Amino acid sequence: MSMLRTTFRSAYWAIAGLSFGATVYAVFNCTPDEATMGTIQKIFYFHLPLAICTFLSCTVAFVGNIAYLWQRRTKWDDLSAAAANVAVLLCTGVLITGMIWGRCAWGQWWTWSPRLTFSFLLWLLYVVYLMVRTSVTSPQRRAIVSAVYGIVAFLDVPLVYLSASLLPDIHPGHVQLAPAMQLTLAFCFIPVTMLAAGLIAVRFNLNRRERLVSDAQQSEYAAALPFAAVGGAV
Amino acid sequence: MIRSLQQIGLLTAKDLRIEARTRQTLGLVVVLGILIVTVLGLGLGSQHQTGSFGAPAVLWVAYLFAGVLCFEKTMGLERQDGALAGLLLSPIDRGVIFAGKLLSNLVLMLVVAAAVTPVGVLFFGFDLSPAPGGFAMVMGLGMLGFAAVGTLFSALVSSTRLQGGLLAMVVFPVILPLVIVSTQLLEKMFREGRPLEASSLAMLVAFDAIFLVASWLLFELILEP
Repeated sequence: MSMLRTTFRSAYWAIAGLSFGATVYAVFNCTPDEATMGTIQKIFYFHLPLAICTFLSCTVAFVGNIAYLWQRRTKWDDLSAAAANVAVLLCTGVLITGMIWGRCAWGQWWTWSPRLTFSFLLWLLYVVYLMVRTSVTSPQRRAIVSAVYGIVAFLDVPLVYLSASLLPDIHPGHVQLAPAMQLTLAFCFIPVTMLAAGLIAVRFNLNRRERLVSDAQQSEYAAALPFAAVGGAV
Repeated sequence: MIRSLQQIGLLTAKDLRIEARTRQTLGLVVVLGILIVTVLGLGLGSQHQTGSFGAPAVLWVAYLFAGVLCFEKTMGLERQDGALAGLLLSPIDRGVIFAGKLLSNLVLMLVVAAAVTPVGVLFFGFDLSPAPGGFAMVMGLGMLGFAAVGTLFSALVSSTRLQGGLLAMVVFPVILPLVIVSTQLLEKMFREGRPLEASSLAMLVAFDAIFLVASWLLFELILEP
């Protein structure tokens, strides 16, 4: 069983790595250069999939939060923690690729335009989610508190989007892509989505194991407690 | 319905009575708000870069920090002498407790705003005369949503390790949409001289409604003695 799992895991990451290599090749060799921005536009092929996968991870975290409050099973808490971690990581990727692109296209690293503000606030919301998790000590309380915060944070996402749309905009809105560009972009979703899903799964398994260890330690401690008390009294 | 309203009134009156007798929170919070306005005024005003239109942003910073302190204090009262356990044991709905806390927080914040706003307006030379009613309405709606989220998360305080900083850290990112909308509306009203549009105000009202309902539903989950 474990051999099957190991094989599956290796195959998964091998496919992800291979498709990443293939997309990098396709991005540089099979797509035309964009007319005004030139080579720097190629960052877009990873920028957009990263942004979409960030939303997907946030949605997974939200589903985990709701399911935890509904069923109170620890696996849901572990799942949303894993998804939030990955969301922060991917959102950092979105911000960094976006900033590099913005530097080359607009000549500045940062401006308070709607999409930039939106992705930055999304990043902040989920970083705070991770901070909330580390600041509550009791595991049960932590799960409840972070689930509540996670739900509020996810509900906040459309509000952030709406409010940011009031700011003056320079970000490209609807872009028309050449067929080769569209195909490459679609292909780019494969490695990025595989990376996101794979990282969530790895992190989820890690969280499960950490919880098993801490539960075992606690029950061991509880089992040893009566003897310790007796020993102390003697 | 009338019973719940009575209960909300009782809870709010209790909080405000405690505040009136001890005067623990308001003095502290008002002074803090004025200090924030002063620090920002000194930092920004000397360079004459922001002009008078920086006033709404500065006021928001003061309201946010003062508000977080208010929420912490009103909930902190319940943590003393096991008052919260008594409140939870009494035969009232948890939603009523939320509404009572929200109302007392709002009253406290209005008092703070009444003291801090004139200071900010004076220091920054901000001309309120084009639309004083619009200013009050936009700020008031912003504060309502802020107070809802703040009251929800104030239930976290003292059950976590990071006591003071945590509440601000949790509340600020969530209510940033309100800050963006209200500062944008004020900018339109005062810098461009346009009247307050019903559609933009509707956005603020909708945000408030979402925050109020979500906080009211989730409050009882994180409230524990």
